[in-house]
Amino acid sequence: MIDVQRLTKTYGDLRAVDDLSFHVAPGEIVGLIGPNGAGKTTTLRCMVGIQAPSAGTITIGGHDIVASPVEAKRLLAFMADEPPLFDYLTVMEHLRLTARLYRVRDAEARARALLAELQLTGKEHALPAELSRGMKQKAAIACGLLHDPAALLFDEPLTGLDPLGIRHMKETIRARGRAGAAVIVSSHLLHLVEEICTRIVIIDRGAKVADATLDELRARPELAAAGSSLEQIFITATAGEA
Amino acid sequence: MLGAFLYLTACSVKNRTARRVRLLRKPRYAAGLVVGLLYMWFAFLRRAGGRAAADADAAQAALEAVAGPLQFAGSLLLLAAAAAAWVWPGAGQAFAFSRAEVQFLFPAPVTRRQLVHYELLRSQLAILFGSAIATLFMRGGARAGSWAFLSGLWVLLMVVRLHLAGVALRRTSLVQHGASGWARHWLPLAAVAGALAVFGAGIAGRWPALAGAATGGEVFRELQRLGSEGATGILLWPFRALVRLPLSASAADFWRALPPALAILAANYVWVLRSDAAFEEASAAHAEKRASDRRAPRAAVKGAAPTPFTLAAAGPPETAVLWKNLILVGRYASIRTLVRLVPIVLVLGIVAQGGGGGIAATAATACLAFAAFAVLMGTQMVRNDLRQDLPHLALLKTWPLRGAALLRGEALGPVVVITAVTWLLLLGAAILGGAPGEGAGAAATFARHRYSYLAAAAALAPSLILAQSVVQNALAVLFPAWVAGTGPRARGIDAMGQRLLVMAGMLVILLLSVLPGAVVAALVAAAAYRLTGAVPIVVPALVVSAVVAGECWLALEGLGRIFDRTDASAADAAG
Repeated sequence: MIDVQRLTKTYGDLRAVDDLSFHVAPGEIVGLIGPNGAGKTTTLRCMVGIQAPSAGTITIGGHDIVASPVEAKRLLAFMADEPPLFDYLTVMEHLRLTARLYRVRDAEARARALLAELQLTGKEHALPAELSRGMKQKAAIACGLLHDPAALLFDEPLTGLDPLGIRHMKETIRARGRAGAAVIVSSHLLHLVEEICTRIVIIDRGAKVADATLDELRARPELAAAGSSLEQIFITATAGEA
Repeated sequence: MLGAFLYLTACSVKNRTARRVRLLRKPRYAAGLVVGLLYMWFAFLRRAGGRAAADADAAQAALEAVAGPLQFAGSLLLLAAAAAAWVWPGAGQAFAFSRAEVQFLFPAPVTRRQLVHYELLRSQLAILFGSAIATLFMRGGARAGSWAFLSGLWVLLMVVRLHLAGVALRRTSLVQHGASGWARHWLPLAAVAGALAVFGAGIAGRWPALAGAATGGEVFRELQRLGSEGATGILLWPFRALVRLPLSASAADFWRALPPALAILAANYVWVLRSDAAFEEASAAHAEKRASDRRAPRAAVKGAAPTPFTLAAAGPPETAVLWKNLILVGRYASIRTLVRLVPIVLVLGIVAQGGGGGIAATAATACLAFAAFAVLMGTQMVRNDLRQDLPHLALLKTWPLRGAALLRGEALGPVVVITAVTWLLLLGAAILGGAPGEGAGAAATFARHRYSYLAAAAALAPSLILAQSVVQNALAVLFPAWVAGTGPRARGIDAMGQRLLVMAGMLVILLLSVLPGAVVAALVAAAAYRLTGAVPIVVPALVVSAVVAGECWLALEGLGRIFDRTDASAADAAG
């Protein structure tokens, strides 16, 4: 569903993403992890067409994000770290706008169901300024899920959520994976990645250093000494100090 | 600690300057700098060139003539500003710390006095820059020399800065002291009331002379005498002492005026330092508010008001984008914005009528003036399009839309709003435009044919507004850093040059876009005249409008392709 081949993104002399390739099949939940400045967000932004790749290809459901952006984006949802809501639209108006842009049928009923799932019932007519950070995050996620995307990209999805919200969010992500969506979760919360992801891609300084399931990573000779926790594996793989 | 503050200030200035210099590598910023410098040279510095001596003599003579009135008007202005600061509820913040400053300096082992000194040190940059620009502007006419004007203005602005900070600290202190604090507020209020009473008594005493004055100039001279004598003279003395400094007639005059002005400066400085108000909390809250104001487009959304229309579940995406942008207008626009413009419109109407013509005719002319203003300047003010959406560029790029479709929806936002206002005004002009057939001349001709003229104007307006909206959105696509979106307004000579370039470019493009339509309209009009012997003016207007709309469509298609290829990070980096 999501295929990234030899993706490179440069800013002047800096190679933010360097020859990165990976694939996410339907139903897979892939954790994209790496230290600060590793190129995770740049990769995600290239995948959704916010930034243009300097080289390489990204296809979503067979559509190249550069050559056929409209078709590719119709299958996508990107949930950014900072919820990018319009200050002057209510939650429900955000959903209506999204429904129209993504040509969602039966949007009203789907919107209500999503609001209930994300515990936003009663906030339909609230403006972003009237919402907490976590509620904004949920509203942005509701917009992202409204068109039932086949490919979901989450950038730090738990930021600002309360414990109950975190629990619901994890279940929401898992449910999308079970329903057949290809999901990428970029996060520094390694326990989240460990808990919900079926595969892990570790990148460092723009390049891929690992792409495997957690069990496969644990079995690797060069990482076995690190222990069984993803945290230890991550530190060893990215040559950090344990 | 002063060393640390100097280091912070110096590093900030150095890095900001370096960033601006780096930006000059990009042609658009370099072009802006060149245009800005040329403007500065033509506007200010050229006076120092070949014709400098003659210009300076003329300017000095002019300044000599108005020095007295200027001093009086300046001191009155300062008095009014000081009174307003004391009386006006909720007058500003004592010190405007940034979030980073709050984060780093407030928890640091820094005394309150040191924080005040840091703030004063930092404010020097703005005060010195403002004084330097004003000196440049006055260069030809500075009587005691540029240095005197610069230093005098610096002293004056520093006193204003300190005094306003002192007033704000005093208010904070009153709040912190609760009821007992507010009980002490009677003194400044009584002082302001006393000042008004002194002025009132002075005016009453000179009423015969004032009432007998034949011209406005005589009234002003009488008031000037009032301000320099007796109780009013004493009341205005500190303000006059400050204004006198930059307006000194000679170096000797400057040195004579300096001690009292410095004494006032020192008194304000000591007053601010001795204030017991803890300003940290209010400053931190203010820093947060400023930061959120920069992130959010404007002050605050008024509330979730009804939408302009119900968005159908299916249809072209342009309508959805337009719907979103029209909601924005409804939730930010305030009736006060329009009310503020009413006096200007009325004055324009009266001027256009030459003081006669009756209320209805004046109102009709005002409507026409406002309509013309709306068509030609509206897109500079109504910004419910991509300019407003630039902070959301990353989100827009994820939408499954062609760039052209998105831009069509964006560009239509201002068109709908400004066209609605323009049509309303044209309707007003038509209704109020006088009875047909009265009198002769342009007004009577307009009155007779006003429905035709106004119908033509109504037909032409949307396309002219659309053309400008397309240009504004094109700028947002091509030069996002030039577009003042929601962030702080760009400053500096290059930014000024960029704005001049944009305005000039807008006019040129508007003319060029109308030209092909005008040619086609002329041909259509000629053919119609040959066939029927008459041409309703609305027909060529409709032709021009259609041609301009077609050009806009093509331009948006081209821009859409560029938008599709645009990297959202380019806008981030530029901004």
